[in-house]
Amino acid sequence: MSEESRREVRAGIEPSLARLWRYALVLSRSRDVADDLVQAACLRAIERADQFAPGTRVDRWLLAILRSIWLNEIRSRRVREGAGFVDAEDVLTTDGAREIEMNITASAVLRAIGQLPEAQRETVLLVYGEGYSYAEAASALAIPIGTVMSRLAAARAALAKLK
Amino acid sequence: MADEDAELVALIDNELDEASRSALLARLATDERLRQRYDELRATSAPIAFSLQELLGQAPLERLRGAIPADGPVRRPPVLSAHGGLWQLAAGIAIGLLAAGAAAWVAASVGLLKEREDWRSAVAEYTGLYSNETFTPLHPDASLQAVELSAVGDKVGAKLTPENIALPGLRFTTAFMLSYDRAPLAVIAYVEPSGAPVLLCILADHAADAPMRSERRDDLSLAWWSRGGRSHLVIGHIPEQRAAALAQTIEKQI
Repeated sequence: MSEESRREVRAGIEPSLARLWRYALVLSRSRDVADDLVQAACLRAIERADQFAPGTRVDRWLLAILRSIWLNEIRSRRVREGAGFVDAEDVLTTDGAREIEMNITASAVLRAIGQLPEAQRETVLLVYGEGYSYAEAASALAIPIGTVMSRLAAARAALAKLK
Repeated sequence: MADEDAELVALIDNELDEASRSALLARLATDERLRQRYDELRATSAPIAFSLQELLGQAPLERLRGAIPADGPVRRPPVLSAHGGLWQLAAGIAIGLLAAGAAAWVAASVGLLKEREDWRSAVAEYTGLYSNETFTPLHPDASLQAVELSAVGDKVGAKLTPENIALPGLRFTTAFMLSYDRAPLAVIAYVEPSGAPVLLCILADHAADAPMRSERRDDLSLAWWSRGGRSHLVIGHIPEQRAAALAQTIEKQI
């Protein structure tokens, strides 16, 4: 069982790297922190691979580990040290300026997502980026489904103003 | 208003139960203001999805791969008494090194098995680790596909595009680099509609040209050929005939 767990975890890391990094960036709004966060999450996953239940989704297990490290170790430490995070509203952006629907650019949408409160950014990422159902997001974030709904609605309402 | 937005967004996301959905649709049919709000909120769907997809393409994959520990706490079998001992040891080493890029893994496992020339064994072992869930969440848009393919194509000296790697019945999900015996190994991962992974592997090993051959190994089918100093392999949990047909298609395209 544990050998199988370790295999699945090792095999699941590589294809999940970009998505782990995106989650880390959306949470931290710092590219340096995102890199560290992904590295820490992968290391933790390898160390605790025995705890992974084979046959379940390793990508979501990895995302949950990353979130836990962010909440319990990195963000809390920054806050404790008084460092906080710089105003990083432009961290979420793209190099190009390709127009998408609504005649706005992906950069503008990402900038707007970057300005949302962390709870909304994270919920948007999980549901619209990672394809979580409302129930799955509620479970992952340990919040009621109604809170998932209100966060998504607030985020969409803010983005609808970009028009 | 906020509650109304939440309900409209849940409708857009197909998350309302049938009763709530029917009630809201009935209101939308008659309430112009509500309909307008629904349209405003719905118009954010594509930009959000598109923007988050764009973000994926910015991930510094090479740096992230380099930062993954090469040798995790993988316990080796203490005694190599069983017939499968060498396989187990090879597999243990394999898993320990997989995330680092698999070069050492492949060398170790193949060395132990004294099948150094058979890179297909290594890939077959590796492919067995992937499940229907491994690649299915990945939906790169056309621009991200082009970036990934161009990057791995450069590493093996092949021009790869979303068009020339397209295969009938398969959806491209991601492309990434491994290495085998110090030669760059590009992996292009597709999924079948069921989610089952099918891989196209391109190894820049300076091999002499060789015609296509195919075989079954356990429940995997393999089809391979060499051309232009590169060895190619199509592998997956598919019938052997299909692997051969996919290989013929891709051989003509790239």
